[in-house]
Amino acid sequence: MVDRLMQGLSKLEYRGYDSAGVAVTATERNRVGVLKRAGELEELRQLVSDREPLSGTVGIGHTRWSTHGPPTDGNAHPHTDESGRVAVVHNGIIENAPALREELGGDGVTFRSETDTEVVPQLIAAHLAAGRDPEAAFRAAVARLEGSYALAAIVAGTDAILVAREDSPLVLGVTEDATYLGSDVPAFREHTDQVVYLHDGEYARVEPGGFEIADAAGDPVDRPPETVEWDPEETGKAGFDHYMLKEIHEQPRALRQCLQGRVDERGGQVSLPEVANLDPARVHLLAAGTSYHAAVYGAWLFRHRGIPAQAFYAHEYAISAPPGDDALVVGISQSGETADTLSGVREAQRRGAATLAVTNTVGGTLAREADEALYIRSGPEIGVAATKTFAAQQTALNLLVLSMAAGRESRAVIASLRDLPGDIQRILDESAAPAVAAAFETAPAYFFIGRGLHHPVALEGALKLKEISYSHAEGFPAGELKHGPLALVTEETPVFAVVTGTDEAARKTIGNVKEVEARAAPVVAVTDGQSDVKRYADHVLQIPASHPRVAPILTNVQLQLVAYHVARRLGRSIDRPRNLAKSVTVE
Amino acid sequence: MKPDCGVVLAAGEGTRLRPLTQNRPKPMLPAANRPILEHVLETLVEAGVGELVVVVGYKRDRVQEHFGPTFRDVPIDYVVQDKQLGSGHAVLQARATVDGPVLVVNGDRVIEASMVEAVAKRFATTGSPALALLEHPRAHEYGAVRLEGDRVVDLVERPAEGAFRLINAGIYAVDEALFDRLETTPRTDGELGLTEALAAHIDGGGRLEGVVTEGLWADATYPWDMLVLSRAVLEANRASHAQTSPGVHVAPSASVHETAVLEGPCVVGPDCEIGPGVALGPNAALGRNATVGANAIITDSLVDVDTRVGAGSTLIDCVTGQDVALGAGTTVAGGPAEIAFHDRVFHSAALGAVFGDRARAGGAVTAEPGALVGPDATIESGVVVGGQVPPGARVVR
Repeated sequence: MVDRLMQGLSKLEYRGYDSAGVAVTATERNRVGVLKRAGELEELRQLVSDREPLSGTVGIGHTRWSTHGPPTDGNAHPHTDESGRVAVVHNGIIENAPALREELGGDGVTFRSETDTEVVPQLIAAHLAAGRDPEAAFRAAVARLEGSYALAAIVAGTDAILVAREDSPLVLGVTEDATYLGSDVPAFREHTDQVVYLHDGEYARVEPGGFEIADAAGDPVDRPPETVEWDPEETGKAGFDHYMLKEIHEQPRALRQCLQGRVDERGGQVSLPEVANLDPARVHLLAAGTSYHAAVYGAWLFRHRGIPAQAFYAHEYAISAPPGDDALVVGISQSGETADTLSGVREAQRRGAATLAVTNTVGGTLAREADEALYIRSGPEIGVAATKTFAAQQTALNLLVLSMAAGRESRAVIASLRDLPGDIQRILDESAAPAVAAAFETAPAYFFIGRGLHHPVALEGALKLKEISYSHAEGFPAGELKHGPLALVTEETPVFAVVTGTDEAARKTIGNVKEVEARAAPVVAVTDGQSDVKRYADHVLQIPASHPRVAPILTNVQLQLVAYHVARRLGRSIDRPRNLAKSVTVE
Repeated sequence: MKPDCGVVLAAGEGTRLRPLTQNRPKPMLPAANRPILEHVLETLVEAGVGELVVVVGYKRDRVQEHFGPTFRDVPIDYVVQDKQLGSGHAVLQARATVDGPVLVVNGDRVIEASMVEAVAKRFATTGSPALALLEHPRAHEYGAVRLEGDRVVDLVERPAEGAFRLINAGIYAVDEALFDRLETTPRTDGELGLTEALAAHIDGGGRLEGVVTEGLWADATYPWDMLVLSRAVLEANRASHAQTSPGVHVAPSASVHETAVLEGPCVVGPDCEIGPGVALGPNAALGRNATVGANAIITDSLVDVDTRVGAGSTLIDCVTGQDVALGAGTTVAGGPAEIAFHDRVFHSAALGAVFGDRARAGGAVTAEPGALVGPDATIESGVVVGGQVPPGARVVR
């Protein structure tokens, strides 16, 4: 049991965590066995092998990413009640935890952790003490909770896992002889491809013989398992040193998948049946992190085709949405579980807006809740720093705009999209990024500038470098540099200028490059070589010539490689950077 | 005990296949429309191998990305051979990863599962290392073998013509003792061949089983051999997609205009676009996402992944690398050709032209028979190109 829990936790390592733990019990016990540790999973593994073996027929495990209380052994999950009879793991945030702690404290309960989660086992224990059976006690406890949660609880003396979900992902894996439970499919994907997603407000009881789902009112829910298509073979590093490097190299494949069956170059047509009914007067794109940069890019593409469009940070949109109830609201999230994006989309739905999910996760919360879903088809992304999914988001947004607003350029754009896999392979084969990284690995700061469609590339280039190298990096629209940030530019701070083509944007960006040169800053040009920007550059990262709408997908690949190689030279934890989680399921 | 693990040697570049190997090792070159190595792994899995070890080196990212951590649910371990110091050295790199007897095959040659099965079976029944043999009319060009009964008594590289009829087919079953033998076999010019260790094993009084096999056994030494290899794979019906008519294989995601004529054997990979009036085949293989413009004619040719063939082009006996762009009206009229290559002159090679990865040809370029255009070279419109064009060169009128 413990081995299998550890195996599942290791499959979820990619989500990022700072502590981990397991709990196991069986019907003949009066306490649950709990082992937990702050730090890497390896620490917990050591603890498991040092201690008396835990055995049992039901178990729960957890990797924690701190929100309430620092990463310590005590704050790691599972949490137990005072008697050690109940153990609980929890994702999400219990917003009324302070009030509940105070109330329980008034009844004489002593808390041992600083977490919001600990109120749950204590509440369950209180209801057990009041004579309720474990399931009734669990439901009564959950009924008191406000906030977001995916909860799993075990009670000594029983062999059931009690489960509840509200605004946090939870999925069951079904086989003939076991039932698995996880916040994401990879946790048990090696055991089964049959899954049942739990919906908000639902409960489940998982037992050795199977499971039962009930809705908030307690009525049984009959939901047949779905088959997930993700191949477990995609969840290993395959000889690459990091998942991030593997995923960078998988981009040609990911984009082939994204384009397959959707483009007809000869006819100049894109077919996306999933959005055929949408004809928006305007578009709001909501996202956070890397996906937000895709949103900025997508908004530009829409505006270029005459459709008013704007990108928003989803967390800002959720608290102060702009006017425009006739807007199509597009939520962009790789995992489909990003709490901020979900809350932005929910706010839009509350106001009656049509919604579209652009996501990588079939069956994820965003895809289920939005009116329509456009899948980017990247396959699982394990590295915390998004790479192939950003390229696929950019590609999918191009397809979306082509399908909603075709024009004379469509055929040329489609041809360039079809050339993307080969063009990216060329960059992977020939990139000078390792040499650029070697030249600037010790720089005190890095700046990225780009204009128009290359502005989001500048933002993303900086974010990627920050995330995995822990170096200070900032991206700006090229024209903004002289309005302030130029004060930070010195001969020690490399400036990455993203310039393709020879249009006005290129000419003006080259003007900004000259401003930087005058301050003796080293310049790295990311370019297709059509302009003379190379004359002002100390280093060149070359991309193949492509359609202007498509070129930002290529320039970004060069910056991914720079970030990777800088982080690698600095010895950073590339696949699991400090303080960051793969999918941010809290607001 | 039957060996459950297959060790595949895929670290070498294959320098005689330049310029096709600029960006990937020889095992990743296409036999018809998928890599040679994919055929090899498929063969091992068909033969019942439950564990794969792939020895990688030159441009290993390409191998690792293509196959990932498993092939048809069989786990793959990648072992890195940094310097290509012979097949024996390559096998030794895998020693720490494997446990018990193993099958060893080359990653750059298409073989049949029955050959692998026969070698595995012989090893299981005799407990001695075993080697697949083939009858070959030109045994003197290969590693030849003399057999007494079932026992190999002599291994000779490139013997005198007519002295031998059996060759080493490059499929081995070996055990721990042979790994030990490899550790102690002296290197020749820094290199260690697997056959040298086997010869030392025989000289030391050890028994080496020879298993005479037959079937598809095809590889490529020079660029023009790629066409022969592809033809062999097409004729053996080992293209990757279901037939749409006899000998014609078209991936479901490919788009073929209704007026295009496909003549088998031929294969059209996923995501390809074939324009109106195109005549494709016989013996034509299009890799994934290739684009063929209206009225092009492609016969006895290999068109690799992401390549564009312009409208009205004629390609006969032509090999393209990946992401090549040939303008409208490109003419490759076919072999035979006389080719001076690697200090040798090859007479009557069946080659129209080779275009290395990402070569670009403008409109109405004509290739003289045997033209070898390097990767990233640009041929401007209207040029008649012949001989060898270096990588990255620009050829103007």
